[in-house]
Amino acid sequence: MQYTKTPYQQKQMIDANGAVVGSLPESINDELLLKSYRTMVMIRTFDQRVVALQRTGQMGTYASCLGQEAIGTGIGLALKKDDVFLPYYRDQATQYLRDIPLHQQMQYWGGNEWANHFSGIAQQDFPNCVPIATQVTHAAGVASAMKIRGEKRCSLVTCGEGATSRGDFYEAMNLVGVWQLPMVMVVNNNQWAISVPRNIQTGAETIAQKAVAAGIEGFQVDGNDVCAVYDAVRYAVNKAHSGKGGTLIEAVSYRLGDHTTADDATRYRSHEEVNEAWKREPIKRLQTYLHASDLWNEGQEQTLQEHCKQEVEQAVKTYLSQPAQPVADLFDYLFEETPAHLALQKQRALEKMARLGGE
Amino acid sequence: MKYFKLPDLGEGLQEAEIVEWHIQPGDQVSTGQIIISVETAKAIVDIPAPQDGVIAACFGDEGDLIHTGEPLLEFVGEQQEDSGTVVGKMESASEHSEREQFVIGSPYRPGPTVPLATPAIRALAKRLNVDLSKISGSGNHHMITSDDVERAARLTQDLGEAQSLKGVRRSMARNMAKAHAEVVRVTINDDVDIDHWQAQEDITLRLVRAIANACKQEPNLNAWYDSSNDTFRVIEKVDLGIAVDTPDGLFVPVLRDVATRETGDLRDGMNHLRQDVKNRTIPPSEMSGATITLSNYGTIAGRYGNPIVVPPMVAILGAGKIYNNVVDTGIAFASHRFLPLSLSFDHRVITGGEAARFLKAVMEDLSMSD
Amino acid sequence: MGMHEKIADLNQKHKPVDTKTPHVVTMIEAVNMALHRAMDADPNVVVLGEDVATNGGVFRATVGLKDRFGHKRVMDTPLAETLIAGISVGMAAQQLRPVAEIQFMGFIYATMEHIVSHAARLRNRTRGRLTCPMVLRAPYGGGIHAPEHHSESTEALFAHIPGIRVVIPSSPTRAYGLLLSAIEDPDPVIFLEPKRIYRMVKQEIYDDGVGLPLDTCYTLRQGDHITLISWGAMVHETLQAADKLHQQGVSAEVIDVATISPLDIDTLVASVQKTGRCVIIQEAARHCGVAAEICAAIQEQAFHSLQAPIARVTGFDTPMPYLQRENVYMNSASDIVDAAIHTLEVS
Repeated sequence: MQYTKTPYQQKQMIDANGAVVGSLPESINDELLLKSYRTMVMIRTFDQRVVALQRTGQMGTYASCLGQEAIGTGIGLALKKDDVFLPYYRDQATQYLRDIPLHQQMQYWGGNEWANHFSGIAQQDFPNCVPIATQVTHAAGVASAMKIRGEKRCSLVTCGEGATSRGDFYEAMNLVGVWQLPMVMVVNNNQWAISVPRNIQTGAETIAQKAVAAGIEGFQVDGNDVCAVYDAVRYAVNKAHSGKGGTLIEAVSYRLGDHTTADDATRYRSHEEVNEAWKREPIKRLQTYLHASDLWNEGQEQTLQEHCKQEVEQAVKTYLSQPAQPVADLFDYLFEETPAHLALQKQRALEKMARLGGE
Repeated sequence: MKYFKLPDLGEGLQEAEIVEWHIQPGDQVSTGQIIISVETAKAIVDIPAPQDGVIAACFGDEGDLIHTGEPLLEFVGEQQEDSGTVVGKMESASEHSEREQFVIGSPYRPGPTVPLATPAIRALAKRLNVDLSKISGSGNHHMITSDDVERAARLTQDLGEAQSLKGVRRSMARNMAKAHAEVVRVTINDDVDIDHWQAQEDITLRLVRAIANACKQEPNLNAWYDSSNDTFRVIEKVDLGIAVDTPDGLFVPVLRDVATRETGDLRDGMNHLRQDVKNRTIPPSEMSGATITLSNYGTIAGRYGNPIVVPPMVAILGAGKIYNNVVDTGIAFASHRFLPLSLSFDHRVITGGEAARFLKAVMEDLSMSD
Repeated sequence: MGMHEKIADLNQKHKPVDTKTPHVVTMIEAVNMALHRAMDADPNVVVLGEDVATNGGVFRATVGLKDRFGHKRVMDTPLAETLIAGISVGMAAQQLRPVAEIQFMGFIYATMEHIVSHAARLRNRTRGRLTCPMVLRAPYGGGIHAPEHHSESTEALFAHIPGIRVVIPSSPTRAYGLLLSAIEDPDPVIFLEPKRIYRMVKQEIYDDGVGLPLDTCYTLRQGDHITLISWGAMVHETLQAADKLHQQGVSAEVIDVATISPLDIDTLVASVQKTGRCVIIQEAARHCGVAAEICAAIQEQAFHSLQAPIARVTGFDTPMPYLQRENVYMNSASDIVDAAIHTLEVS
């Protein structure tokens, strides 16, 4: 950690066994702990159900966030409603906390652009970003706009550790440093970029230390400890809001699932490694802590499990009953005013759809 | 399957602790056989083997936690089904396979095979109802011009639709044009006194016999000349092509070996040929291989002609319409019947002397009494 | 040897050899076979990209290479496409023959600066002192129900760049032969593999190391009434369309362009001069696509033979829609038949 430039030292608050490391800061109250737990259980239930939908042919390719629920949850709870969130594609928990319904998230992976039509606090949020690390530069642009206008807001962007190998990541981070942008970068270091492990992704000891060269603060936290993630993001967001620049947070976690539903991780990593990682996953440890702190009991657990299952089933029902996007939408949302040649093509597309037996 | 993964044991439980393995690597198991007991938060569950097979490996020891969807054990020799992608779904091939057939590049040399005309000319042709395939272009690279189309339209308007040549007439057009372009033709004429012939003399038969005899005297005229290889072949057998006029065009059936056949036989043969041509039942084989040709146009009209020599033959004899002329018999002036003859030969390989001697031999034969 | 003789010679070489046993392979296996063969034949050939070594490529194009040739010649790179293209330029300038994989064409745009400004013009800038014998492989095209950015057909972006070849196989046979030639080629080649047909068809191939010529088209079927021109995955729909047209008494010539840059216009012109009619089928969006270039070249050289306007069957000028509407964007054999019939009806 000698490389990282930070006064921030709260790496971990609840360890893998559910024990408190030191003491919890004031920002972590019971309400927050319970909300974190409920959110993570909901997201895991959702995640497993979406994988099952894919396996039964009712869903497109899906990128699971199994084991990384704490990162999205911590971000979602710490981010303010006026801030702008720029996700990559394992941010189900953050999007859920920014009021993007579960059925709408299913719709994205199910292949319908309407899934990106956000409202409420997510109104200005970016949609998922598949081209790796490109969103980091957009986040710098969003933060630049906020800085130019003198607003007390920030952008928060996520990416995987693989993304930190790309120029976009470095270029954006460099700008955050030199322009003192109100921006938070959270790297979900889940150890695997598809088949490429962390140790051959970069020769740097940590991802966090990459911040040093950009002249911004950077540090690691236990990404499976929702309290640590929450507190770190809260710290970075507050800093950004108060005009003190950007932060790089490396949230250390593990991708317990395959890269996507079409991937098969047994091709390139060992069962032993995955089994070891399961011992550090985020939900069990918080559950243990809550039980030990008398904040949670078996009855509440039963009720929560039942509740999550019902919510997810309701979302599945809604998702499956949603019509496919209208064919006209292919053309209607390309320009504010549809050019003449596209209007003609739209006509052809509608005729073709009629021939195919659609609407 | 290669890997058997911990199934969902119900109630959304995500993990189970291994209580006891009932099998070990190397064991043969059968479907339904209990292989492992695991303890969930609720109960101890016995898990049966999903298929027959030999166990390659067991993952996890007693007391270990295993999560739903993680491999419990591996079967020997099974292929892991590979999705072959990281997103989406790949369509798999059937087992059917074959070697692909293709041509690298184009099987053709570039060159026009449809009439050359600009779209504007095509539109004009369409408007004027002109078939572009029936006219030839006068422009650069034989491109059809608007003048060509308008001329064709005017001709059609004034004179009616031109008919495309077909069949016999089409091949006559091609063969004659080719022969005319290639052969260096010379024609010599003479008349032979046939006053002594009987009234019902078979003129064609006499001509056939005369040619046969002349070929004996001057064999070089019964020959094939192949100009592409510069080869000349004198042929012993006389296969005589006889030009026959029909409404469809010119037919030239071949009367075989005329030098050795009896008169009656020849007459029969000739009648057969005429009949076959008339009925259009003559096979193509009966119209090829002639060594010399006779054209007896005199049965209709015309005294002299300059018949076309069709390669590879080198000579053709034309017989005109018999006419009367006054002759001095030495005793008195008398009116005699004459048969006018026109012999064309290919001067590339036949000398004037050879041709003249041939014609003389023909005339001598015709002069004889039957 | 002139071009015609060279092609005649190759046509001869590609006749079935009965003395050897053919491999029955899919297109992805043919790519893999060609990579093995090329690495075997030339120690300067190296393979690099994301997930290509341990995982054998996300589509398995490079499976087995690391075990056979070692990690010094088969490299998992960091997740950085700009880097992959850039180091390939450097390696190639040192006379290695890098075969780099960009995991999906949707992520190839980061390589553009290196391809356009460096790979394509290194020979030209140094007057032949430094050359760039690299191959950039990328799966491309739609139809596998992938998430966004995984289904594009943007080959025209590269076809527009002077100094690089753009090669697109449409069958296992051409994938094998063209990839071998691309690797042997002394100049940069963008090698785009239509992933929809990676595993769709199996063919018998002899692993004889004989490349197929670049810069030529491939006539897959001969016909007299109309010429159907395509490349990539759409060649399959085009062949199906030719079958359907045959049932209606129309004899269609089918040409796989295969090398979209440089374009073998002679083959296309010879065919259109024979048939007088032509439909070009591309999966990509319409505007400024490769079909437009082919249209222009045919009208320049076969203008007087055209009996009907050249027709194009293309994608719409929209992004590839998310997967629930992918089928509206993708053209089918009957779309091609419709265009062909329409063209034939112009008299």
